[in-house]
Formats: sequence, C-alpha cells, structure tokens
Amino acid sequence: MMKLEAIIQPSRFESVKDALREIGIEGMTVTEVRGHGRQKGHTEVYRGREYTVDLLPKIKLEMVLPDAVVNTVVETILKTAKTGKIGDGKIFLSRVEEAIRIRNEERGENAL
Amino acid sequence: MPAAGRPGFDPGNRPAKNMSGSPTPLSVLGPQCDDERHRIRRLFETGTSARETLSALCTLADRNIQKIFGDVLRVHNAEPQGLCLIALGGYGRRLLFPYSDLDILFLFGGDKAEQESRPLIAEFSRTLWDLGFRVSSAGRTVEECRRIEEDNAEFHLALLDRRFLAGDAELFERLDKKVLPGSEKQARPFLLAQLQKLTNERLARYGNTIYHLEPNVKEAPGGLRDYQAGTWLRQIADDKKELRGAAAAEEELAANAVDFLSAIRCFLHYRNGRNDNTLTYELQTAASERSLGAGNGTGGSRTGDTPRSAAEWMRLYFRHARTLNRQLLRYLEQKATVPQSLKQRLLGATLGARLDAGKAFAIRDGLLEVLDLPALSDRAVTFSLFAEAARIGTLLSRDAERGISYILTHPELPAKNKQVTWTALREILGADYPGFALRPMQRLGLLTEILPEFQLIDSLVVRDYYHRYTVDEHSLRTIEHLQELAEPPDARGTHFTQLWKTAEQRELLVLAMLLHDVGKGMPVENHVAGSLEALEGAAERLQLSPEEKVEVHFLIEHHLDMSATVQRRDIFDAGTISAFAGTVGTQERLQRLCLLTYADIHAVNPEALTPWKAEMLWQLFVATSNHFSRTLDRDRLHASDEKSMLERVRAEAAGASIAELERFLEGFPRRYLAVHSPREIATHLALYKKLGAEPVQTELTSKRHAFSLTLLTADRPALFATIAGVLAGWGMNIVKADAFANAAGIVLDTFHFVDLHRTLELNPSEIERFRQSLAEVVNGKAPLEPLLKGRESASRARPPKVAVPTRISFDDASSDHSTLLEIVAQDRPGLLYEIGSTLARLGCNIEVALIDTEGQKAIDVFYLTEQGKKLSSQKQDLLREVLQGTLG
Repeated sequence: MMKLEAIIQPSRFESVKDALREIGIEGMTVTEVRGHGRQKGHTEVYRGREYTVDLLPKIKLEMVLPDAVVNTVVETILKTAKTGKIGDGKIFLSRVEEAIRIRNEERGENAL
Repeated sequence: MPAAGRPGFDPGNRPAKNMSGSPTPLSVLGPQCDDERHRIRRLFETGTSARETLSALCTLADRNIQKIFGDVLRVHNAEPQGLCLIALGGYGRRLLFPYSDLDILFLFGGDKAEQESRPLIAEFSRTLWDLGFRVSSAGRTVEECRRIEEDNAEFHLALLDRRFLAGDAELFERLDKKVLPGSEKQARPFLLAQLQKLTNERLARYGNTIYHLEPNVKEAPGGLRDYQAGTWLRQIADDKKELRGAAAAEEELAANAVDFLSAIRCFLHYRNGRNDNTLTYELQTAASERSLGAGNGTGGSRTGDTPRSAAEWMRLYFRHARTLNRQLLRYLEQKATVPQSLKQRLLGATLGARLDAGKAFAIRDGLLEVLDLPALSDRAVTFSLFAEAARIGTLLSRDAERGISYILTHPELPAKNKQVTWTALREILGADYPGFALRPMQRLGLLTEILPEFQLIDSLVVRDYYHRYTVDEHSLRTIEHLQELAEPPDARGTHFTQLWKTAEQRELLVLAMLLHDVGKGMPVENHVAGSLEALEGAAERLQLSPEEKVEVHFLIEHHLDMSATVQRRDIFDAGTISAFAGTVGTQERLQRLCLLTYADIHAVNPEALTPWKAEMLWQLFVATSNHFSRTLDRDRLHASDEKSMLERVRAEAAGASIAELERFLEGFPRRYLAVHSPREIATHLALYKKLGAEPVQTELTSKRHAFSLTLLTADRPALFATIAGVLAGWGMNIVKADAFANAAGIVLDTFHFVDLHRTLELNPSEIERFRQSLAEVVNGKAPLEPLLKGRESASRARPPKVAVPTRISFDDASSDHSTLLEIVAQDRPGLLYEIGSTLARLGCNIEVALIDTEGQKAIDVFYLTEQGKKLSSQKQDLLREVLQGTLG
C-alpha cells in the first residue's frame, strides 16, 4: 500500500476529483492549505494597503492506495492537475505499513 | 437500612422476590418488561398518543423500580428508613421516552445511612440495568440537598421535577416540603442566572436558530428542552399567576407543540433503537409518510390527514418549534434580567430620550418597546419602528413583538397604510442593521406580506451535504453576516468591513439577498432562474426603477459566479481576472457581489467560510478591483459596435439620431456605459447637444443628503482642478468623481459631493448661483481664488480623526497610453483641488480620473499624459516630490 499526497491548484481540484472518481477512486482526504515551492508569492496593493500573498492557496489530497492502482492514480492526477504553469504542485508517495478499518478491524488492503 | 451479615444477591439465580414475598427470577421479570415495552411500542405505532406512551413507559419503570427496590430490601433484610428513591428531570415529570435515562436520586437521611446503603444500591442499579433500564443516578443526604452546588446547577434544576418513587416517604416529605422550598427560594437569583446561562449556551451551540435542516428535537432551539427551560423559569420565579389572554393562547399552542415534538422524539427513539434525537432526512421522510403528529398533534401514526411531503411536514415541525422557542425567549427576557453593557445602557439612555417624545415606541433597557400599541395599526408607524431598529441596531423586546402580533391579527383595529412603498422598505434594507428589523418582521409575517416571494422558502428544507439551515434562515443569515461586518467577530471578516461600510445602494444588495434563493421553493430546474422570475413580480409590486431592478437582477443572476471563480479558476491568472471583470462590469457591482458572496458562503454553515476561502475571495476582489482601475483607458467605446445599447438610449432620448449618439459616445471608456443607465446617457446627450449655445453644461441632482454634479464641456487645461476648486470654494466635500473624455475631446465629469454646510439644501436659491458661479469660473469669466480664500481657515481648523499616511505610486505598465498615478491620502475639503492644480501646474493632462473616499481616506486614480505621452521618470519623480510636499 502506498500513501499518496498531492498538492494541487485549487482550480484543478474539481477536475482531479472527477477524474479519480471515473477510475474508481472515491475515498480521499482533502485539505485547504497554503504554501509555496518555487512559485513565490506576490504583493497586491489595494487602496493604499499592501497585501503580500507569500503563501499561495493550494489543495492537498491524501489517499492510501493498493499497490496495483498507484500508477494509474498518479497518471490521472498528472494529466488533470497540469496547467503547464509554475505552481501546479507536486505528488508525494510513501510506503504504508498497515491500514485498519476502525468499524470492523479489517486490516491491510481490505481496510482501504 | 440493611442488616449486617445478609446473604449476597446472586445474579445467577436472580433471587428477587415478588411483593408477596416469593422470589421472581429475573429470567421471568426480564421478558415481562420486554413484553410490556413491545406492547407500548405497538400501541404507539398504531395511534396511541405520545403523552400516553410516555406515561405508560413511566409506569412500567415505576413499577419495576418499586418492585426491585422492595425485593432488594428484603434480600438484604433491610428497612427503608433513612433511604428513599426520587425520580428527577423528565422521569420526574412522568415523561419518559423509550431510550431515555432514568434519573434517580438516592436520598439518605444522613452519612451513616449512605454508607450502609451502598451495597444495596449497587445491586438495585445492576438489576435495573439487567432489565434494560438505563439508570443515571446520584446520591445525596438531605443536608447536601440543602446546599447549593454552584458548579452543578443542572442537579438543582433536575430537583425541581422531584417525584417520590420508593423507600422512606417521610424523608421525601422532609426534603420536599421543608428543606427545598427554603433553599430554592434563597438560591433563586443563582438558579435564574444559571438557567439563563445554560440555556443561552445551548441555544448558541445550535446557532440560535430553530431552522436546522436536520434538527435535534430535544436540544436544538425550538426543541423540547426549550419548553422545559421555560417551565423551570416560571417555577424558579415562583410565577403562579394563571395564564390569561395571549399568554394562555400561547400556552395552548405550546402544549400542542410539546405533543407534536414528543411524538417525533418517541418515533426517533424507536427507529434508532437508542437515545438519538436527530431528525435526519431519512427519518423526516419516514415521519412524513406516517403524517406523524399531524392533525390533532398527538397521534403516533397516520391520522387520516392528507399525506404530506417531507418538506411540508417539516414546515409543520418548524411551526411548532417556533412556538416553543418564542415562548422560551419571552420568558428568558421577562424572568431573567439581562445584564446590559455600558454601551447598551448609554445607547438606551440617549436614544430613548430622543425617541420618547410623541413616539409610539422607545428604547427601554436596550430594547425597543412599544408605548402606544393602537398607533401601530398604522403600518407606516410600524415600519418606522422597524426602520429605527435597523438604523440603530436594536432588538425589539419580546413583549413589543407580541403586541405587534396582536395588532396584526385583531381586526377591530383595521390597518391603515397597508400598502408598503419601496421608499419605506428601502429605509430598512439600506440601513446599517437590516437584520434587526427583518428577523421580527419574518416572525410576525410582515416580511412575507411585503415580499410574498419569501413565503416560497418559508421553513423550506432543501437537502444537501453542506447547508445546515432552511432556505429562509440561510437567506436571513446572509444579511446578518453582512451587518456584523461593522464589527467583525473574527478575522475572516476583517478585509470585508470597509466594503460593507462603503457599499452603495445597500438596499439593492439586501433585497437581492432576500430573493437570491427563493427559486429553491419553485418547481424549476435552476433555482437562479426561479429567483429571477420572482424578482419580476417583486420589482413591479415595489415599483423599483428599471436601473434598480437591473442591479438586483445582476446580483441574483451572478450570485454563484464569484464563489465558482474562486473555487474553479486560477485567480492569479490575468485571463481569469479579465473575464471575471468583464462579467461584473463595474467596481460598484464588484463590491456588492463580493459582499453577497462572502455572506452567502458564510451562511451555509458556521464552518463553510474557512479563512482560506475568505482569503481567496478577497484576492479575487482585489485583483478585479485593480483590474478595473488600471484598465480604464484600454477599453474604449466604439459606438457603432453597440447597436442594441444605442437603440435603448435613443428610446429614452426623444428626437435624437443614432449618428448624434455615436458621435457623443465614441471614445468614452467602457466604464461610462457600465455606470450610467440609458436614461442618464440620454440626459447627457441632451446636455451635449446644447454645448453649441452654452459651452459649459451642468446638471445638478440631489439624492438624500448628497449631490451629484455632471458637467460637460470641451477639454481645456486644468479643467478638473478648476471644478474641484469651485466645489471646495463652496464648501462641498467631494466623495466620489469620474472624469472621462470622448474621442472629440468633450469632457464629462461627474462629481458626487456632500454639502457640508447645507448651503444648497437650506437655500434653494443658492443652487442657481452655484451653477452660475461654476460656469463662470470654468469659462474663465470669474477668478477661482476669491472663492477659495474664504474656505481656507475653516478647512485647516479640523484635525483628522484617523491619520492616513500619504501614499503616491506610479504605474507605467497597466495602460498603453497613460501613466497611472494612485494617491491615497487624508481626505479633507479642497484636497482634490490641490492635487488637480498641482497636476495642471506641472503640465500633466488628466485623461481619466477615478476619485473615491473611504471614511477619512481619499483614494484617487489618475491616468496622466504629458503632451500625449506617458510621463517620463523624471516627471514622475518631480510630481511625487511636489505632491508629497503639498499633501504631507
């Protein structure tokens, strides 16, 4: 099992979610986050006040996946989250030791 | 009390004894209890009232408690002296719901009795658990009951419903008749305050509204707990007065509401198999299919009433919930003294004094009270009361509300001036605190009298995962979220405060908010289309001007656009901003749409507007606003491309030809079309046509306390500064201005100003002199300096309340032809003249100007050229230096 974390543009979230649903991925955790990588923020001035947007709004998706579908999910996210501009985000993958469903204590991929 | 050396209670053999002395094994008692429970449930499901059901459950519990207690005493070879069992809370009131806890107090004669009773109580409780009763018990000696536990007000409140169950009856008598009456009387202020605190906390946990999509029928506002809290309030206050008149009628309605809600709660317990009181969507459907509680308000099953849809049935629920909540709030107001803040006291004292004389209402203890009830049969008076509430942000007292309700429903006082005008309604909707009026107006049915369209969403449950409230509640909350922007309760609103304070035509924004979701109550596929249809009727009835209707129409039609742009588009992309700005059209609309979006998201549920979303919304607003001010001269009108607009203007301008109109409009910034209606453009055209006879044409209109001046003339050096100077010389404070020029060099300047000294307002003859003076100075026939001199000393005398540092910035990138100069500075009379004359003196030509103020802050944007080109960097440096020196 792999844990996938993807930081994507908020504007791509709906498309990514729909595309994942089409390949049968329903469960995910979504968080509204702020941050920046190489894409630094900028300063806006409104009526004499400066607003520095140094942490840009992003969406973080988290999901734990059976090994067999990881590549498909990664490809789907890459395809749908990409705008080609700086700030499109990143995908992180890490190995997961165990998953347990609290309701019935099922374990492993069955718990996903 | 138990004797020493008694045999243990053997759970395996269940050696309880029956009343005749022979043991009744729990293996027999258990099934008997279960059978009886099933019988009660069956009866409820076939039509027995909730009241009888609760009573039967209570009798079952009483019987078993008395039996088990007797058996345990016997098994322990003990006597009941010094120990008694008391039912508390709902159980004490004989209202025991199927899966409710049995609240039992073990009352001891003293510490010794308490010590000796412990094993007995443990066995007693265990046995009851084994029989399927959920026991929630407490133990106190009589002396402990006398003392008020300050951190446990709930216990003392539960004691108010005490009922003897079993054991030492004399001990109960002592507590009930001798001990508690005295201590309760002594603790009355404490209990009242605590009950008020607990109630307010509970109501706040549910957002202080009954209108939840999936309400908790026990705890939520309008739930059974409301009725109980009201009863306790009366009990603690020792209010034994017989209820009469309106109060008696209210009590009867409340009793029906309690029956209805009790039936639902019973139903929920049976369906959920536990003490879960949430009326979920699924159970709303199930309850409505059974017409639960409909008709006589008691039945547990279909009553023969026409089956209702879940939405209709929920309206019935809300009607009952409203009754209970209204009664509780009135009791809270009457029985528990509400501590007032100093601000409220001050407000009450000053406003109350002002309102008292000859008025039908006044402020007392921070609430609006009715002084002359019959006067309210005149709707104009009633609406002035609501306008006052909306203006100063003061609640109506519950008594005032009840009085108005009485007037509205009693035909012996026929209503006068029943037809509400848009002018009267605008006073309410455009005020600082419209929600303070709209809430009671909704409760009293006055809102739907004025806006029958709102009835479509009355208590309407539309099921989705995000909304927490009914549609009408959501709509009213949007308005309340706006008015609280005056002092935002958290950081999410901080950015939006100024937008609210400076929004123009708020009444249109608030009207749009009332109507934006009414389509949800119509049989249409797209609720926005339904809401727009509803607007048609409302606009005609209220006699909105075409321009006003267009604005409300825009807000309703696009009320989801800004939110969709924030969530589905890249708001840091220039293309997104440009497209969005194209949809919105003007800065003023953007401001209203942003406020509507902020409030609309906020009112979905308390967590819907995350700080993240609020920030995104603000970023979109700022980017679009800057787009408007920085692209003014990029987007110029080509009149021949605007056929339909030309036709609309021609329809307003009798005798005008399309060719004339095209000549006039050619080259104006597109903003000109966006901020002026066809009727206004036709007026401007008429002025334009007269320029041949008189080279300076003006039009002056007044709107409430402000004036608008439109001036048309051929462009000339220092024109803008000259007009600003004349206005300053006459003591006028410019709050907003636009300066545009068409391709033929005709300048159309619009100034909105406040007549600080009420010169024009109090002396109508001065208006003509003002216009004449303006034309003469602009034409160079009279000097400006003498006018300005008289004003200098006065303008310098007033120190600013809030210091605004001067900020001067240039932007060469936004426009192809001009340099943008943005100045933010302390506003003061004559400021615009000082800036304008400095620009003129340094040879800068104003191509376009946008002048605005925000409190004491002036925000001016100028598109400047020098000999037809952008300003050189040297000129920009010089200008910055001179302006900095002038403005400070």
